[in-house]
Amino acid sequence: MNSQNHTSVYGAALSRRGFVKTGGALLVGFGMAGTGVLEKTAKAATTMRNTLDASLPESWIEIHPDNTILIRTGKSDFGQSTTFTAYRQIVAEELNASFDAITTVVMGDTDRTPDGSGAFDFLGSGTPNIRKAAAYTYQALLDLASQRLNVPKNAISVKDGVVSGGGKSMTYGELIKGQQLKLTIPVKGDLTSPMGLTVDGNPPMKAVKDYTVIGKSFRNSVTALKVAAKEQWATDVRLPDMLHGRMVHPKSLGSTLVQVGTLDKSKFPNAQVVVKANLVGVVAPTEWEAIKAAEQVSASTKWKDWKGLPGHARLFDFLRRDADWTTTKVTQSQKSKDDVSSAMSGAAKKLTATYQMPFIKHAPLGPTMAMADVRKDGTVYIYTHNQNPQALRGEIAMMLSTQPDNIIVRTFSGPGHYGRSNGGNAGAEDEAVILSKAVGRPVRVQWMRPDDFQWSTQSPASMSDVEIGLDANGKIAAYQIDHYMPAMQDDRPIGAVLAGLPTMAAPNEKGVFIGSTVNDIQDPWVYDGAVNIAERGHGTYQVGEHSSPLTVGLRDHSLRTPGQFQQNYPRELAITEAAALAGADAIQFRIDHAKAGSTDGERAINVLKSVRDASGWETRSTRASDSGTVLRGQGVSLMFRSATYWACVAQISVTPATGAITVEKVTVAVDPGIVVNPMQLKRQVEGGTVMGVSITLFEELQFDESGIITRDWRTYPILKMSEIPEIKVVLLNRPEVGTYGGGSEAANALAAPAIAGALFDATGKILRRLPLKPEYVQAALKA
Amino acid sequence: MATILVNGMKREVQASGDTPLLYVLRNDLQLTGPQFGCGLAQCGACSVLLDGKEIRSCTTTLTAVGTKEVTTLEGLPARWAHQKGLPAAESEKTLHPVQQAWIEEQVPLCGFCQNGMMIKATELLERNASPSVADIKTAFSTGVSAHLCRCGSYTAIIAAVQFAAMQMKGAAR
Repeated sequence: MNSQNHTSVYGAALSRRGFVKTGGALLVGFGMAGTGVLEKTAKAATTMRNTLDASLPESWIEIHPDNTILIRTGKSDFGQSTTFTAYRQIVAEELNASFDAITTVVMGDTDRTPDGSGAFDFLGSGTPNIRKAAAYTYQALLDLASQRLNVPKNAISVKDGVVSGGGKSMTYGELIKGQQLKLTIPVKGDLTSPMGLTVDGNPPMKAVKDYTVIGKSFRNSVTALKVAAKEQWATDVRLPDMLHGRMVHPKSLGSTLVQVGTLDKSKFPNAQVVVKANLVGVVAPTEWEAIKAAEQVSASTKWKDWKGLPGHARLFDFLRRDADWTTTKVTQSQKSKDDVSSAMSGAAKKLTATYQMPFIKHAPLGPTMAMADVRKDGTVYIYTHNQNPQALRGEIAMMLSTQPDNIIVRTFSGPGHYGRSNGGNAGAEDEAVILSKAVGRPVRVQWMRPDDFQWSTQSPASMSDVEIGLDANGKIAAYQIDHYMPAMQDDRPIGAVLAGLPTMAAPNEKGVFIGSTVNDIQDPWVYDGAVNIAERGHGTYQVGEHSSPLTVGLRDHSLRTPGQFQQNYPRELAITEAAALAGADAIQFRIDHAKAGSTDGERAINVLKSVRDASGWETRSTRASDSGTVLRGQGVSLMFRSATYWACVAQISVTPATGAITVEKVTVAVDPGIVVNPMQLKRQVEGGTVMGVSITLFEELQFDESGIITRDWRTYPILKMSEIPEIKVVLLNRPEVGTYGGGSEAANALAAPAIAGALFDATGKILRRLPLKPEYVQAALKA
Repeated sequence: MATILVNGMKREVQASGDTPLLYVLRNDLQLTGPQFGCGLAQCGACSVLLDGKEIRSCTTTLTAVGTKEVTTLEGLPARWAHQKGLPAAESEKTLHPVQQAWIEEQVPLCGFCQNGMMIKATELLERNASPSVADIKTAFSTGVSAHLCRCGSYTAIIAAVQFAAMQMKGAAR
């Protein structure tokens, strides 16, 4: 009974590897297809140990004889809820199984999941890997059913995991029982690259009109575990013989080590100091000893002084005058025209303005941590909370000059960090590896709160020069914007950099994609009624990086809605200013510039009208007429991201005497196409809105000439519960769009231009920088 | 060596008296509900109840705990069962109404802060059975520090506290 039976399933190959007496499962793995570039990948992936691949019986999806289903994804969920809700819904839908049949979700672990990539773009503009894997699986199940029921494939119906045809029925479990089956599906990409692997081909997928699972508010299955203290967090991992580690990070972002402090063995008899170049760490058997010993060593360690940063007060002068924007290629959006100067020069009215956004911290609620176990045979196990474990694996392999084969990353729940580790490292993993290797025992490195503010990456500051020309009818005749932003994605592990170990290059002008200083246009133009537009992106090196002897400076990393936040804020605030210049209502002005008659234009107009209706927006062509000690105003913003249209209205009050702003109400209308899970999407939008209000009102990295001064929640305040606005979320389910857009990003970027627009409406004064802190607001009102 | 009362049980621990309670709970007693968020009493992720009062375990030393009773997230079901005179076995099966409300309202995003949020909610509801929205906002925004959530779950928390209040009042009747 060892005959192999290969069946072609829309380009995937189903092979029956014989029959077994008990158990059995349909295991869907993946194979490599294609030529050229893909062959190289195929070779790398198939020879990689500790990774699921086509030749192994591990899989994306397992269907068990008891009718339960297991799914695996390389994407780690850090509060988006997608892998525990939307992915289960999508798989259930494509398999015609129930949501509850999917009892297990395995995510992130590099040796237990198939595809890699980061915690972003979960829904892949409608077709995440897991959806295609499920669609292939479904076709294979139909083929099996056709054989077992002896009816043609097209005469089979499936409901809730029960196949029927020719008057007979059987469950998926019965269908696969006693068989070892493997489906091979085509995959492309590079497993340990930031984007990971992509499932290829075009399996038939279920028609949207037939959906029964997608669109319902299923609960997140991990919530009950977290609430009952039964979830294992990365912070909870403990290994036999482990040591606790704390880092003694340099005095400044450019300080090299002069002399490491002496450990007081009378006080800390069990502690040990590890030094490798400029990396200093302290390990001890108990956490409290490690903390105290590290404090003692830190106090007596000598570092060279360094001053090479402009300081936050001079940041924008530095970016304007001193930063080098000439070596990196200037980018241009697809809709841009090379030259809009003639259209601009003919304008009746003109707005010329510069907008500034500061460095912002990801500020996870828990400082980063990781456990590493470097074993004598060269195998390295890392236990962490990471948004891209496969990429981390590649980075650690490079650091140790070994093969990714030898690195295994297990990822656990952890504090959300909003993109900070989606390029592979959360901060402490490499340091834990270095310390573990040095002492020959597992080491758990936990950053303290100041480490996390001062030695992590940040969202890059940016500035944008805008020129808008209006014609005699108050319509946009020409629009020009130049965005300036230092490199956004430095994925070098900081411990490796300090220790002088191999890393990828710092972002540079020759780098491609991630790792480049190129500033791409991330914010799609949504006002196609205006056609004379020019959008350009200018990039440069990270601030301070080149003058720092450590080559670090202010390292940057993508933060939720990366790049697009930096570009949408100036555009949307400028559009609000242009509307005022035109003597038009800020929402009607936007509607009038979206392209009526096109699907995209119609979706943009629809979200604007929805947010107008839901928010209680006052349609008027002049600004608010409040007077007195508290002034009220309204503002709006519009964004297109991840196949989703977003519109936001903020209603605020401001006290001119103090400059204090109270955000009273924020209304968000969101059209993602198909709404997969209304409850979870609503929670994502509420959360993003709160983060956006926090960024708008308070958040700004403070740094001096040597390093980051921001060190705790007092020096980096975020929004408190007492400061939240009323939040109203309007979900626009648009099945006819046919795709499910992303909903767990974007909401954080909507509030800033809406609140700044509301301040303008309330006071007639425009503040073209963030955050809208009382002292900056006061200064703007006096100007 | 010290003996402390945690979730209704006396526990002997080896840690020195100056050790913050958080490390004792997490490392010595495997009570991992409380999380390390700042070590500075600025965020609330490490909160526990000490004789019913919400405190920050990251800055409360073992010595300061003394003979007072510590209740962690793990101990909330038994605390509720005890308060309601339910059989102890009941707490094995059911959660505290606050925890149930957190599931009902799907509060956590990443969930890292939610230990402290549920502890704070329990403290509040034990003192004020019908808190207004303003009461809830005040409770979570004042004290040693505000309870911080970076994911922005505050609106969900308010809904969950109100839901839990209804459940707890219902159970009292």
